Amino acid sequence: MTATDSRRTDGGAESRADSRTDRPGIRPGVRPEVRPGVRPAGYGLIRIKGGGRGGSFLLHRRSALVAIGLALATVAVCVTYLCVGESFIAPADAVKAVLHTQWGLGQATPNDLVVGTLRLPRMTLGLMVGAAFGIAGALIQTVARNPLASPDIIGVSQGASAVTVGAMTYGVTSFAVLPYLSVAGGLAAAALVYVFAWRGGLQAARFVLIGIGFAVALRSITHLFLTKGDYLVAQQAKVWMTGSLNGRGWDEAAPLGWALLVLLPGVLWAARAQRTVSLDDDTATALGVRLGRVRLGLVSLGVVLASLATGAAGPVDFVALLAPQIARRMTRTAQIPLLCSALAGAFIVVTADLLARKLFAPTELPVGVLTAAVGAPYLIHLLLSSGGRGRKGGTAA
Amino acid sequence: MTADRTSSRPPRASLVRRRLGWTATAVVALLLAVLLSLAVGSRQIAPSAVLDALLHGGSSDAADIVRSLRLPRTVIGLMVGAALAMAGTVMQGVTRNPIADPGILGVSQGASVGVVLAIAFAGVHTLGGYVWFAFAGAGLASVAVYAIASSGRGGATPVKLALSGAAINALLVSVTTGVLTTKAAALDEFRFWQIGSLAGRDTEIVGQIWPFLLVGTVLVIAVARGLDALALGEDVAKGLGQNVAVVRVVAALGATILTGVGVAAAGPLAFVGLAVPHIARAIVGTDHRWVLPMAALIGPVMLLVSDVVGRILFPPSEVPAGVMTALIGVPFLVTLVRRKTVAA
Repeated sequence: MTATDSRRTDGGAESRADSRTDRPGIRPGVRPEVRPGVRPAGYGLIRIKGGGRGGSFLLHRRSALVAIGLALATVAVCVTYLCVGESFIAPADAVKAVLHTQWGLGQATPNDLVVGTLRLPRMTLGLMVGAAFGIAGALIQTVARNPLASPDIIGVSQGASAVTVGAMTYGVTSFAVLPYLSVAGGLAAAALVYVFAWRGGLQAARFVLIGIGFAVALRSITHLFLTKGDYLVAQQAKVWMTGSLNGRGWDEAAPLGWALLVLLPGVLWAARAQRTVSLDDDTATALGVRLGRVRLGLVSLGVVLASLATGAAGPVDFVALLAPQIARRMTRTAQIPLLCSALAGAFIVVTADLLARKLFAPTELPVGVLTAAVGAPYLIHLLLSSGGRGRKGGTAA
Repeated sequence: MTADRTSSRPPRASLVRRRLGWTATAVVALLLAVLLSLAVGSRQIAPSAVLDALLHGGSSDAADIVRSLRLPRTVIGLMVGAALAMAGTVMQGVTRNPIADPGILGVSQGASVGVVLAIAFAGVHTLGGYVWFAFAGAGLASVAVYAIASSGRGGATPVKLALSGAAINALLVSVTTGVLTTKAAALDEFRFWQIGSLAGRDTEIVGQIWPFLLVGTVLVIAVARGLDALALGEDVAKGLGQNVAVVRVVAALGATILTGVGVAAAGPLAFVGLAVPHIARAIVGTDHRWVLPMAALIGPVMLLVSDVVGRILFPPSEVPAGVMTALIGVPFLVTLVRRKTVAA
């Protein structure tokens, strides 16, 4: 068996004795879910005093803080995004313009066009694409038990690219058709990989390997199209393949938004189901988890999310790889935290697009060029500052 | 699931016999691939004429084609295939990750960045000029990956190696695409190099890279036992008397040099480094002393066959070897991976 990533919690991050010893009154027949004395390190207990039906659940304190921090950082970068561009607009004016154009509050301002029509839709799309890639990456990395496995590694992006570039080469250039083709391509590629990797069950390593095989083959086909096609098509395809938010707006953002809303219950289910899959197969099976079904569910959800995001903005590279790993190393949890992955993905894409607009102005870079430049250094920083994870008895500093 | 074959383990003697048998088969396959590569192309030349041209010289058209065009191409295919396959085997062993290969760990990408910068800024446009840039890039990328992974406590654990490789790879990709999207002229030249191809190489390249190939091979063969021990985990490897850090550094150095050889000579050929080690392991088991030579035999077979098929698929134009490798290799990979449980 492979020993890819031994998911192990960092025991003893802070195993200080909890000072609160107010044991709940144990009523007959009702076992308290968690006794304060044996609470896992790093978790806080949240009690909800309901009318007669109190509930309680564990909350990973660090995760909560990281989520709040990431959310604040994302908000900050969003405001910056709305202010900065060809013309600088003061934050207060930008917010006023947003309020007026979206909800009809306040006065019409001269900034309505720039902020409400040009920057806001593009930013919204960036947020959603980033979040979708972040969650997709987290799910697929969890199922594959391999931090290197992400939708752009196991063939989803390559399937989308092959279909899209093929269509471009044969003269389909309208952006009304291409997104649907990319979504279809991504889903088809993933379905193929699943069918070929299925053999009386889905073994993680086999799934990833066959996925990569298909990914490379599909990338080769894309390259064939590129070298066969003429120079202009190659240039255009190259931009699409890098992922770009240029010229995108509500038309792309609205369908993606509705789709994400529809998938939300699935994501909530995944957040719980993920925990069982990160155990090893035998343990999970012994605990009564229907591994095959849960994995299929998680992978399908991840693939659908990645395909949708690819359809909207092209295969923005590395967000799905970097965001979950950054989130996990920040929260130091055993599993990859979904909410933080989504936030990290959104933050990376919006920041990258802000840089893509400003860095070489007036030339615009595709956002995919800079996502790695935003995410990778931070992941490297986390790696540099972390101790040895997953070592025997080692406590991560 | 995992232990479905251990119970029916053949005794040692027959295991060695089987391994030897497979190795001999691979050697025969390699000879056939070489012959194909020399004889088949836009102009078919009979095998007897090929041998004649190689052994006795002569100045016929056929002999000229074989000697000046196909022989260098075949030799480069042999070297590159072996180099990339061994590099991939070692990287999978060191990172204990079944999907590690020169591409995903950023080493190929380092070489690509070197070449892109050479084309875009240094005005280098000859293959002989690219080679050194590719080498330098691969070396720098490797050093960066290893330095990041080995920082902090615990040293270069498999997970940290894989992750720092992925992070560096991502960073370098964004450098490459950044340069290419801002310099369209470089793109046109680069997109043919980027796929990987054996066409248009001359013997000069062979002369430049064979010493590196030799050094890299010696390095990785030297740590074969160490890699076997590493597969059992770090603590066990230490218990077996291996110096884990030395094994990792030597293996990484060897893999880098070999990747540099491959990328410098033929561009970043994907897939050979990833798939061949798995195919080799499926055939001879997990002992690196057998897997490395086997990979060195299978790699060139895959590459040369792909190159030949690429020559005759859409005449008169050629499909680059880098494209064909994946298309031909995937069925083998899928079949073998489905047959066994995957080990890294």
